[in-house]
Amino acid sequence: MAAPLKAEYPSVSEDFDLSVKIVKFVPLKNEEQGAAQEQELASFEALMLPHLDAAQNLAKWLLRNEQDAQDVVQEAYLRALKSFGGFHGSNGRAWLLTIVRNTSYTLMKKNRAVDLTTTFDEERHATDYESVNPAALLEQTEDAKLVREAMDHLPAEFREILVLRHLEGLSYKEIADIAQIPPGTVMSRLARARGKLKEYLAARIGKENR
Amino acid sequence: MNCEEAKKLMDGYLDGELDPITSQTIEQHLRECDKCDQAYKAHALLIRSISDKTPYYKAPAGLRERIQSSLREEIAKRSPRSVSRNIPSLFPSLFQSKPSERRAVLFGTQWNWLALAAAIVFAAIIAFNLVPRLQRPGADQLLATQLIASHVRSLMANHLTDVASSDQHTVKPWLDAKLDFAPAVADLGSEGFPLIGGRLDYLDNRPVAALVYQRRKHFINLFVWPAESGSTGADKRITRQGYQLLHWVDSDFNYWAVSDVSDNDLQVFKQVFEKQLPHR
Repeated sequence: MAAPLKAEYPSVSEDFDLSVKIVKFVPLKNEEQGAAQEQELASFEALMLPHLDAAQNLAKWLLRNEQDAQDVVQEAYLRALKSFGGFHGSNGRAWLLTIVRNTSYTLMKKNRAVDLTTTFDEERHATDYESVNPAALLEQTEDAKLVREAMDHLPAEFREILVLRHLEGLSYKEIADIAQIPPGTVMSRLARARGKLKEYLAARIGKENR
Repeated sequence: MNCEEAKKLMDGYLDGELDPITSQTIEQHLRECDKCDQAYKAHALLIRSISDKTPYYKAPAGLRERIQSSLREEIAKRSPRSVSRNIPSLFPSLFQSKPSERRAVLFGTQWNWLALAAAIVFAAIIAFNLVPRLQRPGADQLLATQLIASHVRSLMANHLTDVASSDQHTVKPWLDAKLDFAPAVADLGSEGFPLIGGRLDYLDNRPVAALVYQRRKHFINLFVWPAESGSTGADKRITRQGYQLLHWVDSDFNYWAVSDVSDNDLQVFKQVFEKQLPHR
């Protein structure tokens, strides 16, 4: 162990000097500080700005209001920058979406507490495979208005999970992280959300065809 | 696999989130069961339609620029002083006395802090090993940590209840359907502990029922799971991080109540809860 070290650093005193150099405080000048911040901002933007659409999409679906969504996205980016030091992962989109989601809920709580409570009658809303499947009819329709209406009728936790799965194509694991639910809950919540959406669509389509 | 199980796993199967063996079992069942195969096809179509027909809201023009300029503002606002703000004020005097060296402390000698951290970790390891075994957290302490984490998470993550209802006849069947046991559920609203709802949770390596009660502005999570047969024992009271935990066992179930209400309130809660239990 000692031999290779000696070979690399023939003199002990040289070795010692080297460590002293590192310990010394080197106050950075203003320009250097600026450069470091520039660099941080550049890497933040490179990692996070590509997910701007995803951020806007989630916020808009959660808040159902364009202006609120934009405000939340902007606020979320600021929050993300502030805690960027704590981001070491590779999944920038999931990390950003978690912040967007939390920021959205903060605003929703402030605005309309009612929206967050999901009262749910499991019996009535149980997915019923035997009933008419509205998807076939949905397939025919060109306009997205119907789905948007149906989605907007769902509680926030269902809108959120449908958006993350269907529009972002995220895995159950990623969804669990973002929505802060146990991974085992993702499948059942998705099933309930889809069932509820289907129920609403079936009712709407049934009404129109009458 | 029967139809009920296949139906339950259908979404996971269609999303490609099941393990290969379970997927194969479902495929096997779909080949054998015409009714489920129909349901599967219909559900696949629904899932595809949702993906295809749900509008995607792209960021409007201008939002990117607005965000970029607000980010720039935020960066510009950061004086050397605000950089140190990110560090928990463990050593506030250190940072205040050497204003010009703050950046240096952060960037120039980062390894020095790492060495300090390593020393602390090392000391902690030694201390931990020197502490007699008896004083180490027992099973109860570990469980208490899980319970508190679960309680806090339920309040933090906006997931207090899976089924929100003050009606015990709604909450109980809901829980019964999800668990392999049937916990007693009673609304204690008349006693000052209204039932808020129920939730599934996972503790001590098993799914448990969490009943959520309210006491004034506070929430009480009551975790319930079956007791091991013949287990009895005195009530346990633990106070941790400002939370009160109260544990008791009856002939069928283990109970752990977790809350930030006073110890006394929690005792009252237990008495009221036990009084309301149907006599078995």
